[in-house]
Amino acid sequence: MKKAMIVLLVLFITAGFIFAGGQKDQAQTTAADKPVTVTIWGWRTQDADVWKQTQEALQAKGDNIVIEYESFVPAEYDSKALLSLQGGTASDIFYTRRLPGARTQGLIDNGFLVPLDNEIDLNNIPETTLNSIRSGGKVWGVPFANQVVGIFYNKDIFAKYGFAEPETWAELITISKKLKADGITPFMIPGKAGWALAMQHAMVGVSTPGSDWIGKLAKGEAKFTDPEFVNVGRRLNDLKQYYQKDFIANSTDEMSAGFALEQAAMVFYGIWGGSNWKELNPDFNYGYFPVPVVNKGDKPSVYVYMDGSYGLNPISANKEAALKVLEFTASPAFGTIFSNVTGEMTAVTGADLPKDKPVLQECYATANSIAAENMYWVGSVFQNGTPTVYSILREKMQSMYLGDITPEELAKDVQDGLATWYKPLQ
Amino acid sequence: MSAKKLFQKHNYLILIIPALLLYTVFIAYPFFSSLFLSFFKWPGIGPKIFVGLDNYKNVLTGYMSREFYRALGHNFYFFFLNWVLSVVPGMILAFSLAAGLRGSDFFKTLFFIPNTLSIIIVGFLWALLLNPQWGMINQILKSIGLDSIAKAWLGDTKLALPTIIVITGWRGMGFYVLTFLAAIVGIDRSMLEAGRIDGATESQMLFRLILPQMVPIITTITILKIIWSFNIFDIVYAMEGTQGGPAGSTDVLGTLFYRIAFGGLGSSQVGMGLGATVVTLIFFIVFPVSVLYIYIVEKRELKG
Repeated sequence: MKKAMIVLLVLFITAGFIFAGGQKDQAQTTAADKPVTVTIWGWRTQDADVWKQTQEALQAKGDNIVIEYESFVPAEYDSKALLSLQGGTASDIFYTRRLPGARTQGLIDNGFLVPLDNEIDLNNIPETTLNSIRSGGKVWGVPFANQVVGIFYNKDIFAKYGFAEPETWAELITISKKLKADGITPFMIPGKAGWALAMQHAMVGVSTPGSDWIGKLAKGEAKFTDPEFVNVGRRLNDLKQYYQKDFIANSTDEMSAGFALEQAAMVFYGIWGGSNWKELNPDFNYGYFPVPVVNKGDKPSVYVYMDGSYGLNPISANKEAALKVLEFTASPAFGTIFSNVTGEMTAVTGADLPKDKPVLQECYATANSIAAENMYWVGSVFQNGTPTVYSILREKMQSMYLGDITPEELAKDVQDGLATWYKPLQ
Repeated sequence: MSAKKLFQKHNYLILIIPALLLYTVFIAYPFFSSLFLSFFKWPGIGPKIFVGLDNYKNVLTGYMSREFYRALGHNFYFFFLNWVLSVVPGMILAFSLAAGLRGSDFFKTLFFIPNTLSIIIVGFLWALLLNPQWGMINQILKSIGLDSIAKAWLGDTKLALPTIIVITGWRGMGFYVLTFLAAIVGIDRSMLEAGRIDGATESQMLFRLILPQMVPIITTITILKIIWSFNIFDIVYAMEGTQGGPAGSTDVLGTLFYRIAFGGLGSSQVGMGLGATVVTLIFFIVFPVSVLYIYIVEKRELKG
């Protein structure tokens, strides 16, 4: 008897420890006169001020809402959100990745997201942007940012040599050659970050052979082993003589430091890098141009992609307040706050972009005029199976730059890898 | 037997309950659930689809096999090189300290300092030191005219993994030195004296008398190293990221698992089932070695 008692006691004590964590949540749902707290989870640390200002704007409108934002390490965020959603402990609003993608599709298929079409006004967000979070004809989140990638350059260096923004690949080579001859590193490349190399390939590809050709690729009317694709690799492989020495050992942080501290003239990167560069060097004067086309007269297109969106948790206890927050995030007023705080491109049209950020304004205009319709990288159909185009390119680009494989072999590896599951390529 | 006696005889059971509970929750349950998961296709959400042995087929002979065997090979390489770089210098240093040189206490502390740093910090610091353009290592090499060996240490497919192993060895050195030192100090002095009286030369002393007595500790360290080498993740992650770059030349089973199970930046594919398969395979490599370790240690204790 005594034995049984002791066993029970131990079990109770242990259970007490295990379930003690659940107490806090219940205590939070209190009287109605207090402000309603809306919790938000995301992977972006830079957004803390966005939510602070959003809260102020909402309170100024008379909505008694307090926003509690918590950000997690990007690599861990998805697992954290997934587990919490399934355990019923996730935030009211949470950041989701773009579609197509297994992660967000999984959330939709299993009822962890609420369709927003009939809940809030999405008229200020362009259809092309909404497509990145549309599935089954419904919109599952409010897109917050578009990213633009391309070549960023040091304006002071370009001015010193009298260079204009190059329009063709040949002009880009001429500039690189002159800079190198004068002892200036033309490009700072983060060769250690395979993903950045995959992105580099993709952004060169949308200019030449271009979005239309990539569209054919997706339909199976062209192959990755065609000269159009092989030539992208070839051009980049030829360009590597203008990268910093031993670039394959440099990370993106080192690239940012090198570029912002004026050790190199150009980088292949995304608009999101800007805030970091300015932090490293407040006087840094940089500009942007799309990757130049091969043939003069061709129109370049740029790689623009929706970065992520705000989704609504179906079991949110504060659904009404959460919808008010989401409604606001789809308005130009939010777009203004977002772009001013983060220096990134809001997904909402009609926002006032910060006057002191000319590059941002330029990218906003570019994204709205020459965005590529088809691409091969994140957000493309080539990401929907295993291996993904991204997983192949990030490794094979390093191999090509190291001289272990040729651009032809790189193209063949992409073709063979994707053909294992992507029917039109078979 | 009365209830009281029965209780007295088995009351130790109560004492093991807390530990057993912790063990079940944090070790046994995760293990069996990942074993279970390895037979399913599951992106981390929604229904798990039973696929039988498909995951194993994909990893061992299918589309994941190239990456799997490459990573496995790197784990073996890691073990061998790391063994040589830890045991040999570790023992030499231990002998030097045992010889009672002046300042040996100071050196003991000095060797052990890297061990007190977190492996992630070690990886981060060395990545800075090894930066090809402004890292200290290459700056020093260049300043003394050794430009030719100032390499892109972490950007060369042939150098990156050895570099990481050397750093791992550097960090762990203090541990091996102290372990060997303890073994040396424990050697029966009277046997050494007898050897000397019988006229043994220095090399005979070392190879016939001292080293044989070191075999148990070397065995222990070897077995532990196998286990550690197959669980390696943090230092590779800190220095080369989850991709195990450049071009997969530092990819180990740990980073491969991480990529498969949790995807990565810009990746839309996550495969918990496939990841669980890799983990299960790691387990089946490490488990027999662990059993061997326990067997040897138990045997030794019985003898002692």
